[in-house]
Order: sequence, then structure tokens, then C-alpha cells
Amino acid sequence: MTTPLLSIKGLQKSYGGKKMVLKGMDAEIFHGEFIVVIGPSGAGKSTFIRCINRMVDPSEGELLFDGQDLAKLKGKKLRVARSKVGMIFQHYNLIGRTNVIKNVLHGRLGQIPFYKSALGLYTSEEKSMAFHLLTKLGLGEHIYKKASALSGGQMQRVGIARAMMQQPKLLLADEPIASLDPKSAQVVMDQIHAITKENNLTCIMNLHQVEVAKNYATRIIGIKDGKIVYDDVPAKLTNEMIDYIYEGKEEEMGQPATGVEPVKGEFSYGA
Amino acid sequence: MERSIPLSVEKKAKTYLNLGLLMAVVLFCFLYLNVNVGDIVTALPNLVGFLVDNFMPPNFTNLGVYMGAVMDTILFAIVGTYISAFLAFTFGILMSEAMMPNPWVRGLVRFFISFLRNIPVLIWASLLIFVFGIGNMVGLIALILATVGFLSRSYAESINEIAGSKLESLRASGAGWWQILFHGLIPEFIPSWMNWTLFSFEINIRASAILGTVGAGGLGILIQTNLNMRNFTEAAALIVILVAMVLLTEAAVSLLRKRLSIGGH
Repeated sequence: MTTPLLSIKGLQKSYGGKKMVLKGMDAEIFHGEFIVVIGPSGAGKSTFIRCINRMVDPSEGELLFDGQDLAKLKGKKLRVARSKVGMIFQHYNLIGRTNVIKNVLHGRLGQIPFYKSALGLYTSEEKSMAFHLLTKLGLGEHIYKKASALSGGQMQRVGIARAMMQQPKLLLADEPIASLDPKSAQVVMDQIHAITKENNLTCIMNLHQVEVAKNYATRIIGIKDGKIVYDDVPAKLTNEMIDYIYEGKEEEMGQPATGVEPVKGEFSYGA
Repeated sequence: MERSIPLSVEKKAKTYLNLGLLMAVVLFCFLYLNVNVGDIVTALPNLVGFLVDNFMPPNFTNLGVYMGAVMDTILFAIVGTYISAFLAFTFGILMSEAMMPNPWVRGLVRFFISFLRNIPVLIWASLLIFVFGIGNMVGLIALILATVGFLSRSYAESINEIAGSKLESLRASGAGWWQILFHGLIPEFIPSWMNWTLFSFEINIRASAILGTVGAGGLGILIQTNLNMRNFTEAAALIVILVAMVLLTEAAVSLLRKRLSIGGH
């Protein structure tokens, strides 16, 4: 067995020492996996994913990634480690008044000094990489538009490009399609899936649509009340297990995927 | 069976009680201050008569001199607001939880700013006159102190709103503090920055007119001197000019807002 890309050991998070959100989690994530984390809201999905790149500081546990414990890093070292982990957000978190290509180049911020980014001194490789990513994601015509002028689906694709711009070793995605209409959700899911596969990139994604998770994941992690209760291939995820994960919050899993059947090959990746 | 449907489920008794309490408070104020409403009403004709007899018609013969003072007043407001906008941005960042993790620095700046804010601009001017003597300098400094107090807090609130979610993406990419400030916060902050600053400019036009009454230059000092010398018709002309100036700047600011398409608050 190969060594894991990320190994999570005894991960705990409590706020103010009282409310335990994560109650001790262990998982080993291997290179090239597409992991979808499912669970009802409030189960700790978002906290779990945010602990990995330390957007949230864990209270206990180890996060061994790329030869170091992320949980112990501080300052400059933490920023360097973060720059190797891309992240896609539910609300895209673009800088709305900045244009699309600059938003994508923000993915480089962790890897270049302030004076360079401030003066716009990105290398021509960086600029052409940003342009190619955007073209590939079908946004080639929009690179000088303000990010706020785009539709939700387009914004999320800029979010994907920004994360890829980091040339990450690991991609995190927190509910990337929760704010999108079914059609855009489909496009975005397919693009994330295709781009991770093409780059042999490991991805950990939170989703609340179980059906979508089954369609894309190589492995599903089910979280319930701050604990991992399922961790295996999608095929072994039984309806009983789904019912157990969503026990008491059944209404949340009712959303039938995105309402649209996956139609592969509907979009072309030009360039 | 017919049943009357009430239009509200709130208790009527509670409404009457609140109304009664409010009236009691107002009544107490009048009694305590020994103010007779009747006197105010009967004095009204006298007041109008006095104004018409003494102030009409306004005397615009010294218009040239007045325009200089108008210019002073407007320039005070512009320069004061301009300098304050930059100072307040710095303080706003130091006060915001999102950009300033150190609670001691935040608390200290917050205390200092609230100190500035809670002293009215006229009090600042009256104090500063003892230090700098009568003149334009005092007006400007007083204006800046009061504006920094007001703007810093407004900016800090806007900064926290932005930093709450949007800047998370830059943090996640490993960006440093200055990069987050420069590439994330500042571009997102510009609309509220312009909005608050223009708003405080409108306030400052009025404030800088009134500052003169304590000897801090501008239009106010002319109004004050003419009143003291009982040159009522000239004072009337100055007041007309003051009103016109305020209305014109308000119109100009709202035009500017439209051009920048940033809307109101």
C-alpha cells in the first residue's frame, strides 16, 4: 500500500471548549481519490473540510500532509502549505469588483511576494496558464469582465480556475453546487470531475445531494454528529446507511440529485 | 357561527400604557425645565416680526467678501474629509475583528475612536482654539478629529462585512495579510468607502459652516460677527448663502453618487 497523501488522526474541534463539532475523526486519503463527504447540515462537514487547510483551527489531532503536520503550522509555513491546497466555495468568494483573470491569478498569491502581486508582475507562464484554464472552462470571452457581472455557474467556474491556478496537490470543495440551478450544477460538477481526473488530482468535496455523490465519488465518507460513520466505495452505501446518516433530518436528503440526469459529453472542452 | 376576526393580536392595554408613559416623560420635561408652551406660541408673532423688521431685505453688497468665506468653508470640508478618509481607513482596519486579530490593539483603537466621536466638533474647536489660537487651522483639525471618529467606526463595520466571507478564498490560497488587504479588501471596500465618505462630506459642509461661530474661520465667523454688530441684513444675506451652499453641495453629491452608480446607503 502506498503512503497516504493526507492522513487525519483523531481530529477534534470544539468551540470555546464546550460544543464538540468534530468528535475524533480518522481517515487516510490517497492520491487520485475523489472523495465526497455527505451528511446532514450541522453534522460537521464544513468544519471537517475547513480544518484540513486550517481555515478553522482544530482543537486536537494530526493532519499529516506532504510530510508535515498541518495542525501545527503557523505563519509563513502555514501559508506555504495552504498554497498547495486549492479550495472551492459554496458562495464562490470571488472579488466581485476585480476582473475574471485577476481573480484566477489570485490563486498564485500564496506563492509570490506581495510586491509582485501588487504591481501585477505575474509571469507570462502564470498569465497564459490562467488564460488556458479559463478557456478550457468556457470563459475565454469573459476574462476582462468584472467577476460580479457573471452568472452563478460562471462564477463557480472562475472559482475552479482559481483553485487550479494554485497547482494544488489537494482540492477541497465545500458545497460547490449548493447555490446553483440544476443545469449549472451539472456543468460545474462535470468540470470539477474532469479537471481533477485529467490532472490526477485528489479531491475532497462536501455535498448534500447523495445521488450526485454516488455518481462522481470514488469513495464516500458519511459524517453524522461529528463522527465518521461510513467510509467506503459508493457501491456499498446502502439505503439503510443513508437513512442512518440522515436520521432525524430526512428532509435534507430528499433533494433528488439536481433534478437533471447526468449527460456526459454535453459540453466541449475547447483549446 | 359568526365570529369577529381581530385585526391584531397585540394587547390594546399595552399600547395605551406605552403612549401614556411617553406623554408622562414629555410632560415631566416641560415641568422640570419650567418651559411654558403658551409662551412659545404667543412669542411666535414677535419672533416673525423681529425677523422681518430687522433681517429683511438681505444685504448682498459685500458679496465678494462672502464668496471668499464660502470658498474657505467648502475647501475645509473637502480637505478635512479627504484626510479623514485615509486616517479612518487605517483606524477602521485596526478596529475590525477580521483584519486585526489582536484584541488589545483593537480595544485600544476602539476606545480612542469612540473618544474622538463622542466629543462634538464645536467642543473640539473650542478646545483647540486655546492651543492654536483663532484661525482656519483650528477648524480643519476639529473637523478631522470629529470625522475620523465617525468614519472609522462606519468603515470598520463595512470591513467586517466584507472580510467575513469573501476574503476567505484569498486566505485559503495562502495569501499574506498585505495581499488580502490589497487584492481583496480594498477593491471590495471601495463602494462603501465612497458612500460613507460622501455622506460625511455632506455633514462636514454644515459642520464647517458652524465652526466659524467659535472663531474657527469660514462662513460661520462672518455670520457671528455680523450678528454681534447687529448688522442683521448682512447676516441674513450670509444665512441665505449658507442655505444655498448646503443645497448645492447636496445636489452635487447626489449627482456624483449617480455617476459613480453606488446608490444610497
